Amino acid sequence: MPVAKSAATFAPGADLNGAMPDNSELAGHVCCDTAMGMTPYEYGASHVLPGEIYLISVNSRQFWAVFFTKLRFNLRSEVSRTYLGYLWWLLEPVFFVGALYLVFGIFLGNRADGFLLFLIVGQVAFSWFSRSVSNSSGSLRDNKSLINQVAIQKIFFPMLTFCQDFVKQMVVFVAMLGCLLYLGASPSIAWWGLPAVIFTQALLTLAVGIVCCAIVPLVPDLRFLIATLLTVLMWGSGVFYSYKDVLLLEHQQLFLLNPIANLIKNYRQVLLDGVWPDWGALALISLFSLVLIVIMAFVFRRLETTFARLALQ
Amino acid sequence: MSEQRNLLLELKNVGFVYSSGIGFYGGKKIEALRDISLHVSEGETLGLIGRNGCGKSTLLRLIMGVFKPARGTVIRHCENISLLALNVGFDPLLSGSDNLIISCMFLGASRKEAYAMHDEIVEFAELEDYIDQPLKTYSSGMEARLGFSVGLKMKADLLLVDEVLGVGDMAFRIKAQDAMRARINSEQSVIYVSHDDASVASLCQRVIWLEDGAIMAAGEPQLVIEQYHRYVESHRGVGRPSGGQDT
Repeated sequence: MPVAKSAATFAPGADLNGAMPDNSELAGHVCCDTAMGMTPYEYGASHVLPGEIYLISVNSRQFWAVFFTKLRFNLRSEVSRTYLGYLWWLLEPVFFVGALYLVFGIFLGNRADGFLLFLIVGQVAFSWFSRSVSNSSGSLRDNKSLINQVAIQKIFFPMLTFCQDFVKQMVVFVAMLGCLLYLGASPSIAWWGLPAVIFTQALLTLAVGIVCCAIVPLVPDLRFLIATLLTVLMWGSGVFYSYKDVLLLEHQQLFLLNPIANLIKNYRQVLLDGVWPDWGALALISLFSLVLIVIMAFVFRRLETTFARLALQ
Repeated sequence: MSEQRNLLLELKNVGFVYSSGIGFYGGKKIEALRDISLHVSEGETLGLIGRNGCGKSTLLRLIMGVFKPARGTVIRHCENISLLALNVGFDPLLSGSDNLIISCMFLGASRKEAYAMHDEIVEFAELEDYIDQPLKTYSSGMEARLGFSVGLKMKADLLLVDEVLGVGDMAFRIKAQDAMRARINSEQSVIYVSHDDASVASLCQRVIWLEDGAIMAAGEPQLVIEQYHRYVESHRGVGRPSGGQDT
């Protein structure tokens, strides 16, 4: 197993025959309370050198070998499951789009040309973010039993959840493009900008997913708050309205500070208006996400065993 | 036991604390382990006995590296420590076969090695007919058999055996115990946790008795087990270990 090697080497000592080094009286009833009164063992956690914690580390080949094997198995088991499983990923945006179209398109009479296409693009992008973040936030809890048995860096779990969702989302994107074409959208050269938008959203989704994954074990009740926040985010990201029509000009820049709103704007720009994405905004969001991911990598490293402890409790 | 052997594992004054409260800081602290010092040498079988809640499983997790000690140090002189327990953290949605491969890999095998061991493990677990079914369709006995077989077949410098007697039905149990005995009696180094005194006495060269997170006695299996029994007799009805005291 690729683990960090202990720096210490052993010199065989005289205490090998006895059961306990330095404590010949231990064979009797040495009670802990007397030992508690003594100070020598109060080293504190800092005494444990980092190299002496043995985890399958994110830097090791074993980590990635297990990662991709598990990813493949998880995806395969989802395909072969008899009930909805995979299909659900396609159906959820369809339901949402249907409901939103019913309310805003038909009841409220917003049947402008292309409103359906507008909804589909917004909802598909938002569903990905929302589902992936909420899956990630539960990923440590869902893998409780594994975490308690296997010494592996915990960032394994949110990353696995993210990748699993990412692969499924790619299928959804293909279906979405088919749908757009069927409904009369005209492909343009700007469609080549789509991978850049997707890539940016992937980074953001991973970053936010990891943050939520770290927070939930520390404050479990936040799980509910995250669900609520995601709903609020949906209202605030212009999934079913165009910010240009609804918001005052001075509020529009503020609105676009919301990275999800900004991404949705870019998806629409690329797919529906035939305009290249806003590269500056994509770069900023990517940078922000990368910084967040790096910070979280450190946080996970620090809280490695705290997560294991919390998962058990 | 007079010959000197290489040490595989040393614990020096290890302590571990759970916090019982919600969240990060809150709640009272529970001392799960206090001032534990022990060592395991190559080829040796060390027994670990004690009542439920005395800290045996926590100690194993510290040794595996799942937890970090709050005090003291855990020093490993070997690469591979693997756990033989009844529930190795399977994913109920994956097939038995997938779980087997992943489990082996979590325990340190490469993908190739895992696939190479696959058939042998399935055969030992007697699960040929079910191995492609999702694990959630398994009975608890079948799941335990798979977990046990993976742990048994994995190579490890130090094997942690946690309460694995009583796997599966009678026929499998006998086979499992024989296989485990054979492995323990070979040059394998083992930490053996069990409530079955007879097996502890016959398998272990040395026994440590944990009570309430601290080592009460250590040494010759017969002597320690006797002390343990006397203690349990005299404390009957006094209550289980609380897991520690407030700090």
